[in-house]
Amino acid sequence: MVSQLGVYICSGCGIGDAVDTAKLAAFAERELKPASCHVHPFLCGREGVGLIKGDLASGAVEAAVIAACTARVKTREFDFDHKAVSERVNLREQVAWCQKPGDEETQAMAEDYLRMGCVKARKTEPMEPLVEEISRKVLVVGGGISGLTAALAGAEAGYEVVLVEKQARLGGFMGTVKKSLPHRPPYTEPVAASLADIILAVSKHPRIEVFTSALIGKLEGQPGMFDVSIVMDGREATTRVGAVILATGWKPYNASRLTRLGYGVSPDVITGVELERMAAAGPIVRPSNGQGPKSVLFVQCAGSRDKEHLAYCSSVCCLATLKHVSYIREQNPDTKVYVVYKDMRTPGLYEQFTDAAQAHPLNFFTFGEVAGVEKGNGDRLAVTVRGSVLGEPIRVEADLVVLATGMVPNAADGEAIRALKDAEVKSVNAESENQRAEAARTVETLKEHRGTQILNLTYRQGPDLPVLSQGFPDSHFVCFPYETRRTGIYAAGAVRAPMDSAQAEQDAWGAMMKAIQSVEMAAHGQAVHPRAGDLSYPIFQLQRCTQCKRCTEECPFGSLDEDEKGTPKLNVNRCRRCGICMGACPERIVSFKNYSVDLVASMIKAIEVPEEDEEKPRVLVLACENDAYPALDAAGQRRLQYDASVRIIPVRCLGSVNIVWIADALSRGIDGILLLGCKMGEDYQCHFVKGSELAKKRLENVSETLQRLQLEPERLQLAEVSINEWGSAPALLNSFVEKMREIGPNPYKGF
Amino acid sequence: MPSVLQVEPNPSFTRNVIAAGAGDLKKCCLECGVCTAACDLAPEEAPFPRQQMIYAQWGLEEKALGDPAIWLCHGCGDCTAQCPKGARPGDVMAALRREAIKAYAFPRFMGELVAKPQGLLALLALPALIFAAIALWAPRGNPAPQLEFANMFPIPTLEALFFTVSGLVVVMFILSLRRMLAAWSRGGKRSGILPGLLPAFRAVVTHERFAQCRQGRRRYLGHFLTFWGFTGLALMGTTVGVGTMLGVMRTPLPLGSPFKLSANVCAVVILAGAVILLADRFRDAGKLQHSTYFDWFFVLTLAGVAFTGVLSELLRLGQIAQVMYGVYFVHLVLIFALFLYAPYSKFAHLLYRTVAMACSNGSGKSATSQGSTFAERG
Repeated sequence: MVSQLGVYICSGCGIGDAVDTAKLAAFAERELKPASCHVHPFLCGREGVGLIKGDLASGAVEAAVIAACTARVKTREFDFDHKAVSERVNLREQVAWCQKPGDEETQAMAEDYLRMGCVKARKTEPMEPLVEEISRKVLVVGGGISGLTAALAGAEAGYEVVLVEKQARLGGFMGTVKKSLPHRPPYTEPVAASLADIILAVSKHPRIEVFTSALIGKLEGQPGMFDVSIVMDGREATTRVGAVILATGWKPYNASRLTRLGYGVSPDVITGVELERMAAAGPIVRPSNGQGPKSVLFVQCAGSRDKEHLAYCSSVCCLATLKHVSYIREQNPDTKVYVVYKDMRTPGLYEQFTDAAQAHPLNFFTFGEVAGVEKGNGDRLAVTVRGSVLGEPIRVEADLVVLATGMVPNAADGEAIRALKDAEVKSVNAESENQRAEAARTVETLKEHRGTQILNLTYRQGPDLPVLSQGFPDSHFVCFPYETRRTGIYAAGAVRAPMDSAQAEQDAWGAMMKAIQSVEMAAHGQAVHPRAGDLSYPIFQLQRCTQCKRCTEECPFGSLDEDEKGTPKLNVNRCRRCGICMGACPERIVSFKNYSVDLVASMIKAIEVPEEDEEKPRVLVLACENDAYPALDAAGQRRLQYDASVRIIPVRCLGSVNIVWIADALSRGIDGILLLGCKMGEDYQCHFVKGSELAKKRLENVSETLQRLQLEPERLQLAEVSINEWGSAPALLNSFVEKMREIGPNPYKGF
Repeated sequence: MPSVLQVEPNPSFTRNVIAAGAGDLKKCCLECGVCTAACDLAPEEAPFPRQQMIYAQWGLEEKALGDPAIWLCHGCGDCTAQCPKGARPGDVMAALRREAIKAYAFPRFMGELVAKPQGLLALLALPALIFAAIALWAPRGNPAPQLEFANMFPIPTLEALFFTVSGLVVVMFILSLRRMLAAWSRGGKRSGILPGLLPAFRAVVTHERFAQCRQGRRRYLGHFLTFWGFTGLALMGTTVGVGTMLGVMRTPLPLGSPFKLSANVCAVVILAGAVILLADRFRDAGKLQHSTYFDWFFVLTLAGVAFTGVLSELLRLGQIAQVMYGVYFVHLVLIFALFLYAPYSKFAHLLYRTVAMACSNGSGKSATSQGSTFAERG
């Protein structure tokens, strides 16, 4: 608890025009009892900052409350030693710029915010970074083009790298191909795909240790302190690493599910990967008779962009087909080649590859859908194509049919594996017959995940990375490539998203940079993004823990493990500091030094609620710091006005909102509570994956309580606001306040 | 299942189409359909030219040439201007028309002869020899008091010759058209012609479809003038020809004669049209349409006929003996070439396009549905 407060009120940037800063200072002196209180016309200038620094240095002030602009700006100016508490009160964007100047309600708003800021400053404890001995070594899982590139990038940047490859040789898929896509000028012919150079560079590099024919036996710990056991034929090696890159690549879609296209029905229907292997080994022949084909038909999107199979586009199959066409052309210039496509997707300069292929008089391209592959004249195949521009269905005879199948990530679904294991145990041990049957059904639906582990994490939430809907272990495709939902573990290359080798190389660099960032942050006791540099971390008052496991289950990043009794055990470097555990805990035992249930509750209690007869409602807005709060700032920056009844408190994530705050606010007489969070659902925008969704679920439980208290459930609302929706945010606030006016004052006012 | 088209591409046909002026055919078409959407003439139920692009790329000769749609195209270049890949669909359609004229020509060798520059000498040598023979040996009556062309090229001989040529051309046209119609029938693209003939005639005389092309407004005007000048001259020529044969007229008609007046006006109109068309071709310099030998043969013959005709008349009026017979000789050679080779030259489009328009009930897209063809895939 801080006792010596300094209050610094800026009157610049129009704050002084809207708010009577002298009166505000007098209010502060009177009610908040600061050790020092100043109004300055240009607080972020050298003089203003000097004033604050002087007070902090002299020890006259332990915590500085800076009532000026939003905390999102002037961070460098107001950056003090982390041992000093400093708190920003947003008088500019969220008072002066969005409220009526000189109005009594505007003044009241400024006073409330200042009071809340002082309460927060008093309750905030100085930060002590948690610095431990860490390893800066990076583990790269997978020795294909992505893994090799990542390993070399890391080693060249001065970091030790351990590369683990399942196969006996390095190179992965790209090490097996005849040629590579034309990723350099003139982009019209496949290029040599020699990985020899990079394999040599990796093998000889003094900072890279390579394990082939090796698997990950166990990976435990946290960023900076992962202990990995590498299992080779009868041998096991252990090492400590700081971060992990998952570069396990892809496998072709299972073509045996494509009998509709003749796969498995005729030996002359093969996949693109099979053709590639054939071409790399020798001539391309018809498997049925070993003779070179005189006509070849390629079926694009074979099992891709198809809800029955892979819903997505793998982005390389069209290019791979063009490459295969050039192999065929090289082998026999007179072969007729047909390509039946949904779209030829060869973006960027690769378009020249398509153009070059199309120009050949014996290459025939058409849009269309393959309706069937059957026996044709002699020993040929007859392919029926519907929906082409030719008008009627067409029938083309071909010696060889090649299915361009898509890419499936070589990823394991950690959550599914965990669910499978739980169900396997339950199907035997559960008490009731019904429970055992239910568990057996779960086992049946998840059985394909058996034995798919790659990383073998010892995490409570499962032994591998959680995946998105399409099975890719990316965590947030919108903002943060390479991120997964396991801090310190980054996905690179085709395991992250379908891509070609050139893209995979770029990906590998990106992921390695993230991995390095992660170990360096861990070394300084700092959080990685999105709260990069945050020194705070959750502290658990375990004496009061009831082992309800909500925190361990709801943590989006699997930061918490459990002991046998179910007591949470934090791995602080895995933690992203979102506070979802704090929102989850019914016992309220989780807190940060600068963010806790008590701290926010005290801020809420600092709001002065006018008497019922004053007809001035008060609405509490709990706004997500990542999207909603900046959107409200942006509204102020554009001078959009909104109702003076709102009091905004930023929260780290809506998932960190503890239900007790709702009760606190309502019992204080606050008329309504609006929670502003990120977009949820499949294309979620939440920086912490599922914060808004968790908040929504928790609110549903509260609304029953409200009814019991005879409070209207409409007093509590959750809205999704993305960062670019500043234009509509004021209307959202106004309509909510309006609704509260219609419902009438909170009957608990004055209690 | 509807009927299935057995596809066996014929690469040599593709090569021919490319050689016929569609040099970018195989380069980069991605079947996007912008060409079809850009074309205001393409009927909704059978839009072009995207489908024809694929016929040509895949070497589906019978499908491509036996498609009346290639004739509905007026070659304005709207599609070529908008094609995102520069595949020049307009040129492909023109090349297909040329190949169709050649493929269905009766007799076939004439199609080959007219289509290629190697045949030019032979094509011009034939009339040159005929008219030289006439000048030298044709029986002639008493020479007129002043200089007249009939003094060297006796009118009865010319009339006999030209009526024979006309008759021959009509027969050749009918035989060629029969072949083409048979191909349309095989492709299932032929419907009744007679009901559509009247609207087709209306479209031809008003040039209403030509007017729908957005690119090349000048080309529309040039074609309109050329068409009407030519039609007028053909009517006058036939009337005067029949008149002289019957003995009710005598050429040269006096300048004040309504026939002479009309013919002169028509000649000026056709010349103006031809100048506009030629200027347009030079100005365009291949942007909207490549000009091939096939185009030049027809355009220059037609323009040459008009030019030498006017020049001959002026020389006759000026009684300039030294050059007047020579110019008239060239005039006769060109008229002969224009008519006799009409079924095999670009001139044939007059017939084929008219019949194709009669066949096609659609009259292009309605204004509201433009662009809807993007959705017609699949």
